[in-house]
Amino acid sequence: MHKFFLKLFRRRSMERDVEAELAFHREMAAAHGNPIPMGNTAFVQEQARDLWRFTRIENFWRDILYGARSLRRSPALVVTAVLSLGLGIGINTGIFSLAAEFLFSQPSVADPGSVVSVRVGGNSHADKEVVDFVRASGLFQEVAGENAETFINWDDGAQTRQVFTVQLTKNYFTALGVPIAYGRGILPQDPAEVVVLSNGFWSSHLRADPAIVGRTLRLDGRPYTVVGILPADYRSLIGFGFSPDVYVPRFLDDTRLAMYARLKPGTTLGQARAGLLTVARRLDQLMPGPFPYAQECQVAAIAGMDRFQTERDLQTVGLFFAMLLVVVGLVLLIACVNVASLLLARGSARAQELAIRLSLGAGRGRLFQQLLVEAAWLALLGTAFGLVLRQAMASAIEHYQIPLPLPIHLHLTLDWRVTLYAILLATFATLACGMLPAWRSIRRSIAPDLRRERRMRLQRGLVVAQLAISLMVLTAGSLFLRNLWRSNAISPGFDIRNTLRAQVNLPPAAYHDVRRKRAFVDQSLRALAALPGIQAAAAARTIPFTDNTRFGSDLKLIDTGRHVHVDFSWNAVSPDYFRAMAIPMIRGRTFLAGSQEPAARPVIVNRAFAAQYLADRQPLGRGFLWGTGGTPATVVGIVEGTKTLSIGEEERPQLYEDLSRIDNDRSRLQFVLRSATPPGTQVQAVRAALRGVEPNAGLEVATLYSSIGLAFLPSQVGAVLLGGMGVLGLMLAAIGLYGVMVYSVSRRTREIGLRLALGAGRRDIAWMVLASAAKLIAAGSAAGLLCAFFLVKPLAMFLVPGLRPADPVSFVAVAALLAITGFAAAWGPARRAAATDAMTSLRYE
Amino acid sequence: MAKSGSPMLLQGTLDLLILHALQRGTLHGYSIAETIHLLSDQALKVEEGSLYPALYRLELDGAIAAHWGLSENNRKAKYYEITRRGKKLLASEQENWSRLSLGVQRVLARQP
Repeated sequence: MHKFFLKLFRRRSMERDVEAELAFHREMAAAHGNPIPMGNTAFVQEQARDLWRFTRIENFWRDILYGARSLRRSPALVVTAVLSLGLGIGINTGIFSLAAEFLFSQPSVADPGSVVSVRVGGNSHADKEVVDFVRASGLFQEVAGENAETFINWDDGAQTRQVFTVQLTKNYFTALGVPIAYGRGILPQDPAEVVVLSNGFWSSHLRADPAIVGRTLRLDGRPYTVVGILPADYRSLIGFGFSPDVYVPRFLDDTRLAMYARLKPGTTLGQARAGLLTVARRLDQLMPGPFPYAQECQVAAIAGMDRFQTERDLQTVGLFFAMLLVVVGLVLLIACVNVASLLLARGSARAQELAIRLSLGAGRGRLFQQLLVEAAWLALLGTAFGLVLRQAMASAIEHYQIPLPLPIHLHLTLDWRVTLYAILLATFATLACGMLPAWRSIRRSIAPDLRRERRMRLQRGLVVAQLAISLMVLTAGSLFLRNLWRSNAISPGFDIRNTLRAQVNLPPAAYHDVRRKRAFVDQSLRALAALPGIQAAAAARTIPFTDNTRFGSDLKLIDTGRHVHVDFSWNAVSPDYFRAMAIPMIRGRTFLAGSQEPAARPVIVNRAFAAQYLADRQPLGRGFLWGTGGTPATVVGIVEGTKTLSIGEEERPQLYEDLSRIDNDRSRLQFVLRSATPPGTQVQAVRAALRGVEPNAGLEVATLYSSIGLAFLPSQVGAVLLGGMGVLGLMLAAIGLYGVMVYSVSRRTREIGLRLALGAGRRDIAWMVLASAAKLIAAGSAAGLLCAFFLVKPLAMFLVPGLRPADPVSFVAVAALLAITGFAAAWGPARRAAATDAMTSLRYE
Repeated sequence: MAKSGSPMLLQGTLDLLILHALQRGTLHGYSIAETIHLLSDQALKVEEGSLYPALYRLELDGAIAAHWGLSENNRKAKYYEITRRGKKLLASEQENWSRLSLGVQRVLARQP
């Protein structure tokens, strides 16, 4: 260490001193009458300099410069390598960014580590009284609440639109420390009609004008003052890129809120959980209800590994990303092997140069380091190019609108995690590409073995590995393509071709009374049914694939007295729903209007519900007690089942109630219409009809087909990503095969010339080359198929049911694709071999 | 590494002689060579081509410390002195040398 600092600081002075010291020595020698030593200064100076240099660092620096220079002489190699590695690394870092952002992003609050989500009674949202109680208990430093599933109607002068809204407690911004780009957050002393806008909403609908702060927007018929605008990189507490449009103080008394709290300094999650249990027990004593609050209390972190561990859905998505990363990692491996092959070929071309340097005394370690530095240069350039690609990918994703019924904006920034991952990939690429060629070159230069060169076993082995890996990736890709095909063929259980959907958001203040809602529904249905071309009109609380309400509760069957625990999807619909959606009625009938309906609480169940819970007797007409209400429900009809949230789900029990008989607390309603004419033509008429009934309602009218993009999204995403990876991997492997074939032909030029001279036909030569390529393809396919067979099994969890992963037909198809591509790659070299001129090749030394 | 006319000195042995010479006090390069020459009864003559590299190496290792000073005849000269570390090195090199020379003596004293 001492040596290091001496070298660093005293080096210059040392070099100057040497000459002075030697001069003095000679003077003394002369003065004492000794013979003067002749001209040793340079020698001594050199010796001194050798001692004082940072030899290793200077060598390394020299290697870097030399590596750059020698690479400049082979531009083709550099371009190919940088492109292959860049593609591989770019895609890897891109997927990694996506995964990191999706699963582990930090919400934009102050000190996210101390903010937690609070739940009591197993409910995601709590009543106002509960929130106030928790706040008053003093357990947390701050308690705030939000409800992000609200809508508000915004009248911009030209039309009334629904906007995604978050209702908040007034202390939300101050308690959580939410950053603001313009203006300020909502303060506890603000009046009720203030609003904070999201950056996306402000850019797309208000032309990103900062002067909007202070002006008013007309929301739900009332003027709201804009007090602030959120920053562009704001991340909501819910995560996953979910970014609602506007944020307002809570305006409905019965809105339930999701609680978020800030822990007191020094409190751990465990302590908070225990404290919450105590608070919940007190709450049960004060406000007893059917479901005790203390039964399921939860205090969870809002980001990072803690959140990942507590939420099951996240873990499934996490598994998907992990699988994806493995697949793109394999593609990167193929690219690295390509570059390694190129470097191997280059190494054998430089064998003579390396042999000379070794014989002149260069250390083997030095040469090894030098060759590795060249590989590192390629990896570095490839990583730089890859990061550029990732940036392009990130911008594309930010601007692409995912066809979901929710506003999702993902911000893919180049933060420390992605950078670290990129560096890791670069290191891996350097080692993967450089180790083998470097080691091989040095060994060969020491003891050249011409016999082994002709067989090129190592390079052929690498190509076989590439082909095998490519086959595996292709198999995964074809699997997801089949999945997409199959999911397109699966029937959702209702008609999506001739159906229209209208989503209506009623102004909550005016329609608070459930009777007014029912009147609205009746009026609208009459108006819609009267439209020409509309065969059936119905109203519903939720539409499949956009929303779902699930219930798990106990039923008591009246006739047998048996209790049964049920788990089903629930919906409330008007009588014509099944006709409008073309859901077949198996037995019984739909609801009858008003007093014509004999049953006090009619319900309609689907086939699965009847089979699972009512199979012991004839299901029609059976009554059961359900929930807290005293009125027994009676089954009046049985229908076919529909999918509820995704096209690949298993059939689940469903139960429908009459919309006009339930206490509907939602101000959002869905209408479905069956159209005899193409549904797109009816959109304007429907909109006009609904506006005629209630002009202040927010409307969204579209064909049902375009509204249910969510259903097919997973299979589409999987098919695009994995299919794309498969194609990329195949192309890279083909390039590898082409390279090896070209190289092999060039090495065998003399042999080919000899054969031609001895009477072989040109076709025989071409055949010879193709045959050797065929051997490689066969070996690669065999190895790949074997691995693919085992690796494909765990992918079944991402596919629609009924799709067999290990389908022999698809294996054969993929192998055939590989073979065709391989032969296409070998075609060029085969032709070139056949065109060899015998005379020049025999003269070639 | 000495020139012809003197026996070949191993690198370690030269270090040993230099450190021994510096035990007496601070010397400059020429004096060190003189001391060795005299103490060996003129058998050993250290050339500047071996002396100064050895001195620089010892200085880098921290066995001796250098400073510029004025010589007897008022010229600027670089003086060296032994450090604590150098004293330890001297002791260990002395031991190595006695073991080595003893071993060589024993071999030569007996018939193969």
